[in-house]
Amino acid sequence: MKNIFYKFGAAALLSSAFLFSGCDPEFEDDVQVSAGSLDLSKYVAVGNSLTAGYQDNGLYLEGQVFSYPNILANQFSFAGGGAFAQPLFTNEQRNGSGYLRLSGFTATGSPILQPVTTNLAVRTDAAPLPGGPRLAKASNLTGIQNWGVPGISVLASATPVYGGVNPYFERLLADNEVGQVSYVQKVVATQPTFFSVWLGNNDVLAYATAGGVVDQANPFGGITPTATFNAVYSQLIAGLSRNKTAKGIVATIPDVRSVPFFTTAGPVFKAGLPAAVTQFVVLTKSGAQRKVIARDDIRVGNTGTTLFTLTSSAYLGLLGQPTGKYWRDQARAKFPTDAAARDQEINRYLQTYQVDTTKMFGLSVENPLPSALVLDADEQAEIETATNAFNATIKAQAQTHDLAVFDAHNFFNSIQAGFTQNGVAYSPAFITGNLFSLDGVHPTQRGYAIIANEMIRAINSKYGSSIPTIDVTQFRAVLFP
Amino acid sequence: MKNKFLAFLGSAVLSASVATAGGFQANLQGQKQIGMGHAGTGLALDQSSIFFNPGALAHLRQNGIQLGVSALNAKIAYREPAPGISQAQTDNPLSTPFQAYASFGKEESPLRFGIGVYTPYGSSVNWGTLWQGRFGLNELTLQAIFIQPTISYRISDKLGFGAGFVYATGNVNLQRSIPLQASNYAEGQVELDGGASGMGFNLGVYFQPIEKLSLGLTYRSKVEMEVEDGDVSFVLPSSGLITSQFQATKFGAKLPLPANITLGIGFRPTEKLTIAADIQHVQWSAYKALRFDYNAGIRGETFSESPRNYEDVFIYRLGAQYQVSDILALRAGAYYDKSPVQAGYLTPETPDADSRGVSAGLTIALSDRIDLDASFLYINKKERTDDASKSGGVPGTYKSVAYIPGVGLNYKF
Repeated sequence: MKNIFYKFGAAALLSSAFLFSGCDPEFEDDVQVSAGSLDLSKYVAVGNSLTAGYQDNGLYLEGQVFSYPNILANQFSFAGGGAFAQPLFTNEQRNGSGYLRLSGFTATGSPILQPVTTNLAVRTDAAPLPGGPRLAKASNLTGIQNWGVPGISVLASATPVYGGVNPYFERLLADNEVGQVSYVQKVVATQPTFFSVWLGNNDVLAYATAGGVVDQANPFGGITPTATFNAVYSQLIAGLSRNKTAKGIVATIPDVRSVPFFTTAGPVFKAGLPAAVTQFVVLTKSGAQRKVIARDDIRVGNTGTTLFTLTSSAYLGLLGQPTGKYWRDQARAKFPTDAAARDQEINRYLQTYQVDTTKMFGLSVENPLPSALVLDADEQAEIETATNAFNATIKAQAQTHDLAVFDAHNFFNSIQAGFTQNGVAYSPAFITGNLFSLDGVHPTQRGYAIIANEMIRAINSKYGSSIPTIDVTQFRAVLFP
Repeated sequence: MKNKFLAFLGSAVLSASVATAGGFQANLQGQKQIGMGHAGTGLALDQSSIFFNPGALAHLRQNGIQLGVSALNAKIAYREPAPGISQAQTDNPLSTPFQAYASFGKEESPLRFGIGVYTPYGSSVNWGTLWQGRFGLNELTLQAIFIQPTISYRISDKLGFGAGFVYATGNVNLQRSIPLQASNYAEGQVELDGGASGMGFNLGVYFQPIEKLSLGLTYRSKVEMEVEDGDVSFVLPSSGLITSQFQATKFGAKLPLPANITLGIGFRPTEKLTIAADIQHVQWSAYKALRFDYNAGIRGETFSESPRNYEDVFIYRLGAQYQVSDILALRAGAYYDKSPVQAGYLTPETPDADSRGVSAGLTIALSDRIDLDASFLYINKKERTDDASKSGGVPGTYKSVAYIPGVGLNYKF
């Protein structure tokens, strides 16, 4: 832990001005730093996994320390910002929820991702929650300022029930608050002088990353109705703003199609398809409905529409084989030990989706590609409509409450072609693009630092402040074996 | 004393620094001239005429040997573009450009021979491995030593010609970080290291129409320094997928050291006062691009090229010498040096800007045969902000200063 904090300290130090001595060259102007009219004494960050510092498919201490809110708070400190308390995992439990690391590459150059399973903060002394095993409680429950909760949506933030569902939220609550207090109530009660809100991604992303499948058992797995989003989001911002007493920044929801989770597997799949395969069959949305997709409809760059999730990589190679591997894996994930229950679950899948696994996987109508691996044009259209509606709400609320806007939707679209900064090439490419971590959805620490700088620019431009940006090269991207 | 001096020369780092002139030129070729803003093309001061104007060498009354060295302490500060506030400063090693000249020839003969060994180009910048431009540059050392045998012929008391052949030898060492981090957080690094050589010439004419006035015109040719078979080495994460992308082991490169045309005038209003003025035209436009060719691919490319597109510049120099007594001469001077680096092309190797130099110097005659020169030059480059959009450099604001004391010893025979 000391090491991680040392690294953050070093990054912060290298990003700050220092005094030169005697005969050294001097700049004509001193560094300009000012908060303008902002009161940065109490900053509170509201949001989901992005705000928590989630990356590499997990939340762990290093990601927390290098979260964008912590970077913002560090930069605010140059302009009168106060302390910033995060719900950090302890050093003994530094690997938090567990995460993925890159352990090597296969002979064909595919990355081998290995789960980190030591020094976890996973609790075995209490029953798991519907959203997964419980995690060790934060030690500073009363003073938390980073309220990033992986998985949370605007929909979920309004209901007190959610504290008993999501282990990342549960660990920020006292035992007597679990299931009793909603996320919105908790964060509004902090009464910040400055806040950031980056929420809403999971109101579309859960549906998107599941390939447009709504899990009937998960009330937060679909696309949130626009009216509900509108109502809850407005209530949240009004509560934080307190009639413009507090200033802040809100961020929009990126286009899900701009992240490597959806752009990596498809092009590889298409390139490897035998010439004879001109089309394939997929399940669409949540039922047994089939859809035929032409080979040329696979999205590569700017052509085609159909997207494949990063999780599909493990199954696309089985195309044409008589296999039910996907359904077996699903059942095993649900019932790791109970073989009878697992078999029952597999049968349920096959009946629900009317699948015959003895037929050619993906090529025959009887054994289609599972919907969860594919995001087709219809599903994308639903997501796009929702994303645009939610972003309109977010921007309107910013206008109403005089808040800065980080337009993440614009930003992530603008970097699709890649860019170079200080001799480093950035792009949305998986692993090699430096921006996205090993889960293909969440940024690397470098990516989070770049986002923090974009937010600082938006804040400076809105409020006339001069908050310094940070040197992003001091933050790591993907680590290679 | 001579031995000690030579020992010092031998042990010193034989390189100049970027801060001494535009680009990577180092205008420190004679201790007397340094004291006068490095003007002296129109004068016949001493054996350093081998560099300044071979045509003036035959007008020297005595033969002699001159040894000189400067201690170059240059510092460059960097600040990232606003609203960033991160700063960095070079930790350049003290470098010691030197000069050694000797002339021979019978006193009554109109012909003089000379040899000069000097360091007119060089650069030594060390930004380290932590600053935000480290993927552009950690450290660069360029060294070039010119060896110039010279012949000078005095046609009359008023006119002299001279010519020298230049053989240049040197080396280049460039290190930069590679943005690939290993699991222990260590960043990759590449180092290019190689010896270089090149050839050129130095021509001069010296004309003294009247006692009080002298003129000089010189042409120092371009010298193309060529590196063949330089070494490329990498530090990288060990994964085969990465190392297989960095296959190069050898590199080649060409670096032009530009031609100079200098017109100088010397004016002696009184017996004791000498005034010198030079206009130097440096043909930097020869430096179009920095290109390295590799024997195998680096990320699929067998060469790397970044545009430089330097432009020709003029340097204006003015200096004066006052002979206080038989044993003491005092000097002062200044120069203004336009930067050859165009907007958009600034790089951390040569974060160049228009520079202003002021200098002072003196000579003490220790005996009839031995003189001691001392000089001090202060260089202040204008603060320069550049987006480095065309050179692939590091955007930001740069500021350089240099303090350069120097000493020289003349032995006349």
